[in-house]
Amino acid sequence: MEEETSVTIISTNLNRKLLNKYPDYHVIDQSFKLDDLLQYSKIIFFNILNNLEENKVKEIFKFLDNHNIKYINITNNSELSLLTNYLIIYDENNILIEGHTIEVFKNEKLLKRLGIKLPFIIELSLLLQDYNLTNKIFLNKEDCRGALWP
Amino acid sequence: MALNLVKDYGIIGICSSYQNNLKADGLVKDLNINNINKALKMVGLDDNILNKSINDLTLSEKLKVELATKLQENTIVIGNISNSLNFKDQEYIKKLLVKLNSDYHKSIIVIDEDVTVFFNLVKRIYVIKEKQIKYETSDFFDEELYKWVKCPKIIEFINFINENEKRLNNNIDIYELIKDIYRSVS
Repeated sequence: MEEETSVTIISTNLNRKLLNKYPDYHVIDQSFKLDDLLQYSKIIFFNILNNLEENKVKEIFKFLDNHNIKYINITNNSELSLLTNYLIIYDENNILIEGHTIEVFKNEKLLKRLGIKLPFIIELSLLLQDYNLTNKIFLNKEDCRGALWP
Repeated sequence: MALNLVKDYGIIGICSSYQNNLKADGLVKDLNINNINKALKMVGLDDNILNKSINDLTLSEKLKVELATKLQENTIVIGNISNSLNFKDQEYIKKLLVKLNSDYHKSIIVIDEDVTVFFNLVKRIYVIKEKQIKYETSDFFDEELYKWVKCPKIIEFINFINENEKRLNNNIDIYELIKDIYRSVS
């Protein structure tokens, strides 16, 4: 994970002890101003971005990328994982699976057993494959529509 | 206000922020819970949690313990399910809430900022901001609702596909949606 600049962590049983595993990351767990983040080289968001509009989260991540700030988003919202390159799934304390985001989500059966919901478009893509309607994994609705109703 | 709203519907959803209010020091076993073992079992926890410090509980455990403290109430208010629980636990708690309403005649108020939590659960949704009802509906596909709150991905997708031509039916179940897509493209 060390080389990755944008990481999502999803836990099957979310708790603050996870933060102890990343002691060199500054913790953000309440509302903040973007400019205040510039003083840090590594930031970890703890369950704070879940209910923001996706465009707002994209804006935050783009800001951090532009300023070469590494970040980890700890969340229960699997949809947000599509906005980062790398995904780590924890139980309460231990890494269960990690890797590039789409590759992790291909372990559909394991993730469901763990209680992790796939992002909607990924779950839809996998079901469309089951129905032989596509062999692709779509990352957005536009590509999905273009492929199914050309 | 919410207590009056729930009388007509049994289970309602309120789109708003919510602070889990399990504010206590000490151990779980010291909480004032009637039939504590049975209550904990009902919310999906086992006896091991009794000797755990409340401050050391995970987000999921905190929500379930909070729910356990409320099981005896006639109107149960619970919130922040989407932020606290993984998907499997969300579905378990939702089924429990439905059972508490249907079998035990409890009124249920669920407060969350994520509308998908309300799927297969609530009969009416209220948007409350600054202590005022800004909007209310029983239809998950009511477009006006999503001027106030984030639209669930499945609804966003169906509305997008149907933009120029009605191809898909309104569905909140992804398996029904897939069948609909299959019929549409075949």
